[in-house]
Amino acid sequence: MKRFFKMRYNIVFFFITIFAYSQNDTIHLLEEVKLHGNFSPKINAGYHLQIIKDSAIQNNNQSLGSILQNKANIYFKQNGNGMVSSISLRGSGASHTGVYWNGIAINSSLNGQTDFNTLSANGFNQIEIKKGAGSTLFGSGAIGGAINLRDQIYFIQKKEFGLQIGLASYNSQDISFKSELSTAKIYSKFSIQGMQSENNYPYLKTDLSNENAAYKNYHIKGVLGYKLNYNNQIQLFITYSNNDRELSRTLTAPNNSKYKNSDQRILVQWKNYGNKHNSSLKLAYLQEIYNYFPNKNNTLFSEGSSDNYIVKYDFNYFFTKRWNIHSGLENNYTKGNGTNILKKERNRTEIYLLTHQNPIKKLNYNISIRKGFSNTYNIPFIYAIDLKLKILPKLNIKANYSTNYKLPTFNDLYWNFSGNENLVAENNKSAEVGLDYHTKNTNINITSYRIQSDNLIQWRPVSSSLWRPINIQSVTSYGLEFELNTVKKINNHKFHLQTQYAYTVSKDDVLRKQLIYVPYHKANASIQYNYKKWTLNFNQQYNGKVFTTTSNTQEVDNFWLSNIQINKNFLKKKINIGFIVNNLFNKAYQTVAYRPMPNRNFKLKINIKI
Amino acid sequence: MNLFKKLTIAILLLITIISCESDSNQEPYLGSYANGIFVLNEGPFNNGTGTLSYIGVSNVMTHNIYQKANGEELGNIAQSMYLHDDKAYIVINNSHKVIVANRYTMEKIAVIEGTNINNPRYFVAVGNTGYISNWGDASNATDDFIAVIDLNTNTVTSTISVGEGPEDMLVNNDTIYINLQGGYGQNNKLEVLNTDSNTVTSSLTIGDVPNSILKDSNGAIWVLCGGKPSWTGSETNGKLIKIENNAVTNTLDFGTGKHPQHLTISNNDLYYNLDGKVYKMAISINELNTDGITGFDGYYYSMKANDNFLYTTNAGDFSSEGTLKVFDLSTNTEAYSKTTGIIPGNIIFQ
Repeated sequence: MKRFFKMRYNIVFFFITIFAYSQNDTIHLLEEVKLHGNFSPKINAGYHLQIIKDSAIQNNNQSLGSILQNKANIYFKQNGNGMVSSISLRGSGASHTGVYWNGIAINSSLNGQTDFNTLSANGFNQIEIKKGAGSTLFGSGAIGGAINLRDQIYFIQKKEFGLQIGLASYNSQDISFKSELSTAKIYSKFSIQGMQSENNYPYLKTDLSNENAAYKNYHIKGVLGYKLNYNNQIQLFITYSNNDRELSRTLTAPNNSKYKNSDQRILVQWKNYGNKHNSSLKLAYLQEIYNYFPNKNNTLFSEGSSDNYIVKYDFNYFFTKRWNIHSGLENNYTKGNGTNILKKERNRTEIYLLTHQNPIKKLNYNISIRKGFSNTYNIPFIYAIDLKLKILPKLNIKANYSTNYKLPTFNDLYWNFSGNENLVAENNKSAEVGLDYHTKNTNINITSYRIQSDNLIQWRPVSSSLWRPINIQSVTSYGLEFELNTVKKINNHKFHLQTQYAYTVSKDDVLRKQLIYVPYHKANASIQYNYKKWTLNFNQQYNGKVFTTTSNTQEVDNFWLSNIQINKNFLKKKINIGFIVNNLFNKAYQTVAYRPMPNRNFKLKINIKI
Repeated sequence: MNLFKKLTIAILLLITIISCESDSNQEPYLGSYANGIFVLNEGPFNNGTGTLSYIGVSNVMTHNIYQKANGEELGNIAQSMYLHDDKAYIVINNSHKVIVANRYTMEKIAVIEGTNINNPRYFVAVGNTGYISNWGDASNATDDFIAVIDLNTNTVTSTISVGEGPEDMLVNNDTIYINLQGGYGQNNKLEVLNTDSNTVTSSLTIGDVPNSILKDSNGAIWVLCGGKPSWTGSETNGKLIKIENNAVTNTLDFGTGKHPQHLTISNNDLYYNLDGKVYKMAISINELNTDGITGFDGYYYSMKANDNFLYTTNAGDFSSEGTLKVFDLSTNTEAYSKTTGIIPGNIIFQ
């Protein structure tokens, strides 16, 4: 048993060394041994995983979207600063990246998407990113990739309180408090965060400013863990977040609407570790509510909500050191309701099975299958295979092939009088090959992929006054991703360079044109320099032009964006003060046409840790 | 070299002849856009700008002519355009403004905006007074109005409250007929406004969702009502209404599930678009035609007849350029087609 854990420890450690962005979290690795979620590197051997650790999350003190943009080179489409922000991974749509909270899918049941400006990164221990399709493990919608926000539970003696205050341009303030108390038997974490902003930045090169764009939000989180004995743990996770946003104007039109939404998530988990198996049983309740006010000065609004009840059981069994299976059963019951959708419910049950083998030292591979059943639609049978092969001591080949799906959303199915209950699941085939080179201080990764998606659901005009969703579009995507990370230490001087580049082609099979809002090129470079108590971060982003018409005749210009941050520790790291300049060179840029992003802006933040 | 010289001389001669001819035979030069057809493109719905395209006498299409003349964009959702005297009035719905421009050069003269222009839809003018239909707050069914404009100062002088969703309007001497299409909802009224008193003198209940209105050569008013669409849950039939002396004198019912659009007139024939076909009906006949015109098929986003030609637009996927297709009504064949801007919603004849 011990030996087995040691072996897993080594594998996990091996991956963490390669992918982790921070260097000082090795203490936590001991607990990683027990990590057996779907993002575990072992069962994703043929995929490129990236883990962003909590030090990087806190250090950034930014929204989740910004962190993913800066650290994982992911493209986001933002309707202006703080407004709706949707993801596009590998040229896929906003609902084609699975977003998970402690392993539970949290993409909206209503529109299938996640708005990354309503999620706070604050308080999570790590963000796990898997690029590439993986529906067999992750279920519906994990096509461009999957992102998991993880709260980790450690049973060690710990008592820590943290307070963070930020003051920024455009009359922005944020404050958060976090406590973490744990013993060998009990773990607890509590955090609360609030922020608000006038968000009224000037639109460069015009007389306009970002009117009607103020926002405020707060997020509360609680995590409890109880270690019953060496083999059993009970865990409880609760979050509540509330967002209240005005919806900003554009270059050509004012706006006076407003959007409020809240999310509530509860998860109870029982983890069991045996000699040859481990398992987890999850019971979760997720609720999303939104209110849209077409005129904020008016009491009229439209609303929508969904309630999700999830039971998820995952089971790992180890036949030998070199062969284990990973399986799961998930039931998802959803109720939707709202001004614009019919009051409906749906249920689906999905099972999956993965076998991991390591027949020779140099080779790891996984084969997985998944099948679902639903009262609403047919869920296709899907399968995947992935492998990692060591071809040279420091060089691995990674490859995978998978079939995947995305199920229609509540809006697609039940939008008043125009929803289409005959929709079928979107299906997808995906393949990738990558090379992974790593030394103690450097890792380089090159991945190429190809994705074929069919039956994509699009809202199309079917008559002069009616638009309906139909399974109509086929898209072929292919691309290349490159990554280089290196660490250099000279006496007290520490340098950490991260660079990423993505080339993405995603074309409609009929039009043979690049999809709108998918940049061909996206690159990112950041350098971190540490000297004693000082840290300097410089981040440079490049976003290639994106098309805004399906005929590729109009575009949003490319842009370079630079941010700089300087931090200093005081009193044995108990206090950290940081100063950030975003958009250092005061560039006018947009990610969505006619929606300018902020000019040069500043932020001062203070972290106090006891 | 010799040939080149000859050619140059020939071309110069030709140019001289052409310019002499235009000098002697035509009116004084008014502007680049004095003699053609405009297509007003709404532009993308959420964010972006509408554009104005122009087809000159030689059938050459020029795009973005407003932007070219003024170095600025029209604004979000270019809803409609109306020509009056030497001016063009371009109604920009989501930017809540009406641009006043020279109709021949498209150079901007003024912008009518402010609190009394709220979700503007259409513009008409009688003498020195303009009338703009406004939905007001889109979520409010009772704040719809007509803004009255002094065309000398381009300012709102008063507002006239009307029912929900005032849309297209028709001027008939001292009367303006206002289609109450219903805004985001559905309405079934035609309001009659007297331009001397600037008051609504009567309100006729016609069919549901009146979408187009015109006057024939005999002075009768025709209103095409689309009927409530099926997605409302209370579907009604489309109707063609004839109005004479401010009273409904005839109602033709299209039958169950039929929702016609885009009533237009050429000579003494009415044309409309229904279920992907174009139908023709003489104003003298009291019966709807059962067969569409062969070769004219299409679900058009707008349709207008002029001078024995039928102009139709198609918005395609609404996320890229649309097309304009022109049919010759004397031969019932397609004359030509052109690429427009994004969502071509309005065709206007100079």
